[in-house]
Amino acid sequence: MRLGSIGVRGGSAGSRLFAMYAAASMVSVAVLGAVLLQGYRDDATSHGHDQGLAQAAVIEEMAVAPALDGANLAMGLTAAQRDRLQVATDLAIFRGSVIRMRLRSFTGQVVFSDDGSTAGGVSVADPAFRTAIAGRADVAFVPDAEREIGTVIRVLQPVITGASGQAIGVLELYLPYEPTAAHLDEQMRNAYERLGTGLVGLYVILALISWSTTRSLRRHAARHEREALHDGLTGLPNRAAFRARAEAALDAAGRDGTHCAIVLADLDRFKAVNDTLGHHAGDELLQVVAGRLAGVLRQGDTVARLGGDEFGLVLPGVAAADAVNLLVRMRNVVTQELVLAGEPRSIEASFGIALYPDHGTDVEELLQHADAAMYQGKRGTAGVVLYAGRGTGQPLVTPAELRRAVERDELELHYQPKVRLNDGEVSGLEALVRWAHPSRGLLPPAEFLPAAEQCELMGPLTEWVLRRAVADQVEWVAAGHPWTLSVNVSAANLLSPDFPRLVAEVLAEAGVAPEQLILEVAETALAGDLETITRAVRELAAHGIGVAIDDFGTGPARLSQLRGLAVSEVKIDRTLVSGAPLDHVDQTLVRSMIEIAHGLGCRVTAEGVETPPVRRWLADAGCDEAQGYLFSRPAAWPSVLDRYTRQDCDHRVVPQVVIPGAEDHQSPVPQVG
Amino acid sequence: MKRIRRARRTLAAFGVSIALLVGGCARGGEDDSAAIGSGDTIQVDQALRQRLPESVRERGTIQFATDPSYAPMESFAADGRTIIGFDADLAAALGSVLGITIEMVPADFSTALDDLGEGAFDGVLSSMTDTVEREKKADFINYFSAGTSILVRRGNPAGVRDLKDLCGHAVAVEQATVQEDLLERSQKGCGARPIAIKTFKNNADALLQLRTGRAVAVLNDFPPAARLANDSSSRRHYQLVSTEQYEPGLYGLAVAKTNTELRDALHGALDRLIRAGVYKELLLRWGLTTGALQTSSINRVARPDGGS
Repeated sequence: MRLGSIGVRGGSAGSRLFAMYAAASMVSVAVLGAVLLQGYRDDATSHGHDQGLAQAAVIEEMAVAPALDGANLAMGLTAAQRDRLQVATDLAIFRGSVIRMRLRSFTGQVVFSDDGSTAGGVSVADPAFRTAIAGRADVAFVPDAEREIGTVIRVLQPVITGASGQAIGVLELYLPYEPTAAHLDEQMRNAYERLGTGLVGLYVILALISWSTTRSLRRHAARHEREALHDGLTGLPNRAAFRARAEAALDAAGRDGTHCAIVLADLDRFKAVNDTLGHHAGDELLQVVAGRLAGVLRQGDTVARLGGDEFGLVLPGVAAADAVNLLVRMRNVVTQELVLAGEPRSIEASFGIALYPDHGTDVEELLQHADAAMYQGKRGTAGVVLYAGRGTGQPLVTPAELRRAVERDELELHYQPKVRLNDGEVSGLEALVRWAHPSRGLLPPAEFLPAAEQCELMGPLTEWVLRRAVADQVEWVAAGHPWTLSVNVSAANLLSPDFPRLVAEVLAEAGVAPEQLILEVAETALAGDLETITRAVRELAAHGIGVAIDDFGTGPARLSQLRGLAVSEVKIDRTLVSGAPLDHVDQTLVRSMIEIAHGLGCRVTAEGVETPPVRRWLADAGCDEAQGYLFSRPAAWPSVLDRYTRQDCDHRVVPQVVIPGAEDHQSPVPQVG
Repeated sequence: MKRIRRARRTLAAFGVSIALLVGGCARGGEDDSAAIGSGDTIQVDQALRQRLPESVRERGTIQFATDPSYAPMESFAADGRTIIGFDADLAAALGSVLGITIEMVPADFSTALDDLGEGAFDGVLSSMTDTVEREKKADFINYFSAGTSILVRRGNPAGVRDLKDLCGHAVAVEQATVQEDLLERSQKGCGARPIAIKTFKNNADALLQLRTGRAVAVLNDFPPAARLANDSSSRRHYQLVSTEQYEPGLYGLAVAKTNTELRDALHGALDRLIRAGVYKELLLRWGLTTGALQTSSINRVARPDGGS
């Protein structure tokens, strides 16, 4: 499933963010560590300096200055001063507390040194010496001249002999640094350890905070993205996500030179479920269907809910045959019966397929073609339809167009006669609606009834047909032909609680006896809400209106249902009728149907009778009436009237009105699969 | 005194120039202003300069001996070499008026007048009180007035309130000072319990005795004694017994009796500084205005008996 990919994408972005945070924290912690360490080092150095200065100050004040009282270094030391100085400093020199000591005049002359030499010492020009001359002490770590390794503290400071503060020269002292250094090293080591531990801890805390923050951000982003790209009801990707994925899939297919199928799927009669069982049932149905669709997908496929009961699929890498196979399989799964609001229901769905690159190269074009294919499927040819190209695929009839057609009175009625087989007389006419489309010519009902189903035009359309047909009937009765009138109604009509009353009103207004009207209901319509339909049929029957089961033998009706339906007529489907004279099974079926219908008190009419042998066989089998090209193609009623008025004795008429592609059969209910 | 920098000398010169400038403006109509001049540097008074000995004008430098253990009059700066204080500033100002450099050199107070007589220095400027005795060795240009104060350890553990309280105690003073004379004269009132007078070659060594408890008092001129008792670096250790100044006298800049030309030139320069207000300004700077003189004089011993 593609659903997972959002998480993966979000995850990698989150990891990058975390890595960035971690790196930034690392840098700042490292900088902090460096600054603190430098501070510690500086402190240690400064500590060493201070210690050297303090030591030198004490030596100067307690040993050197008292020994030199009254000395003028420019003149050198007296023997007494030299002795006093030696006595005062010998022990410190001997013990190594002072490594080297020189007493110098302001001109740099070495007046006294621990080893008696008068050479060596810091240059007078040295800044350290200048500092001491200026009255301040200078301290520095310098390499130990005698040992080649190690460091000593060198202090140069003025010698101030008396209480009056007079400086007489410069004291050059070299003090051991090792003890101080060892101490400072120890301190530094401790500082490093504490600092290291502290900084590592700090870094860990920062990293944890970063991790926690990025995780929250990642989750938030993932949820946000999910909400933006998913349908709340089914959890499937929404239209926007579908478009993005379709575009990505097409791009990939374009790069790889493979196919990609864009599929639109639509549930049939979803609206009826919503209307009769409520929105909860509708939502439940959508959820079940979404689950079933998602369950059949392969890795890399996408199914999205585009809105209402419409679903879109992206199937990368499939060619025509694969796509059809896959979708047939999917359709079988989706249309499995399910229990909805406590009742078992069948689901029907139409799938329209458009292939990249065969049927288009952009998503919009492919979607249009898939839509066209799907509507073709709804018109009854098949449940899964592969777009067949612009040549054969007529532009769809849209509900809006149909609504306009009704308003402009572009619809018209044709009639096909029903003939009694025993005497060849016309017993009634079946009204068949046609649409005189301004640009596409005369359209059969299969072209536009799905659109009517889609937008609740079925009620008004049927009413229009009914009123027009009844008006026509009044005319032909007036012309001396007491033929019955058959009008097709859909399941939607029967589900409408007002329908029986409406029919009765129409008849009453026209002054037509109810017995003169037969409403034909397709057998497939009985698959719906049988209880409601049964009630409607009974009500109609109570008014005296006849009800016929149309296309009998093709649908799901159980024989037992017929008994309860108060049906007056059964019309055997053309597929059974046309093969009856030759096919033994069909013969058996048709005979049984006739027998059963008669047993239930129903009249039997055979549809699609096109040849005299069929007619003869039906007459022999006991069929009451027949209908088909053998007698007449559907035609406007005046021409039917003319024909039967003029050629009353010859029933084997060649139809004058021929409608290309039209059938003498119609069903108000879309044929699926 | 530690806080005083070597730059003091420069500042002093600058201060003099400012004071001269201000004085000049305040008294624009007087002769002095024209003589002192205006601007950033002190104008040399050529008339006074002409009164200098030929040799001094040629050298351009003269040396004053001083014992720099007597802040705020004269003391070593932090470097232990530069001498600072009112006397040092006064010397610099005098040099500026005369167009010469006057160096302050450290010397023993007790031998300074003798050394001056032998020509070791050109003058002694060391808070030296003008006395009859000393006038025999040198001429004194009087420039300040001060008496003697008794300095004791803070808390005054010996309970000294007056000179007579010093009887029977060790008292430290600088050698050859009027204070030593004062103590000697006070012995008469002590009877069987004489003062143990300890003398030292400079005032700092005498103070060391008091600081370390080897003397109960030190006698100083009032200005340095007041400084010790009030300066934050020393007030922990010292205090004045009272504000009384014993035997007030005049400080004098000593010049060899043979060198009258230099003496008169210096006297003229000092007179000019007093009238121009530079003198007052320098006193103010060192907190010494109580000892200010209105006019300068030569060898004018304040007391007929010459004891100060």
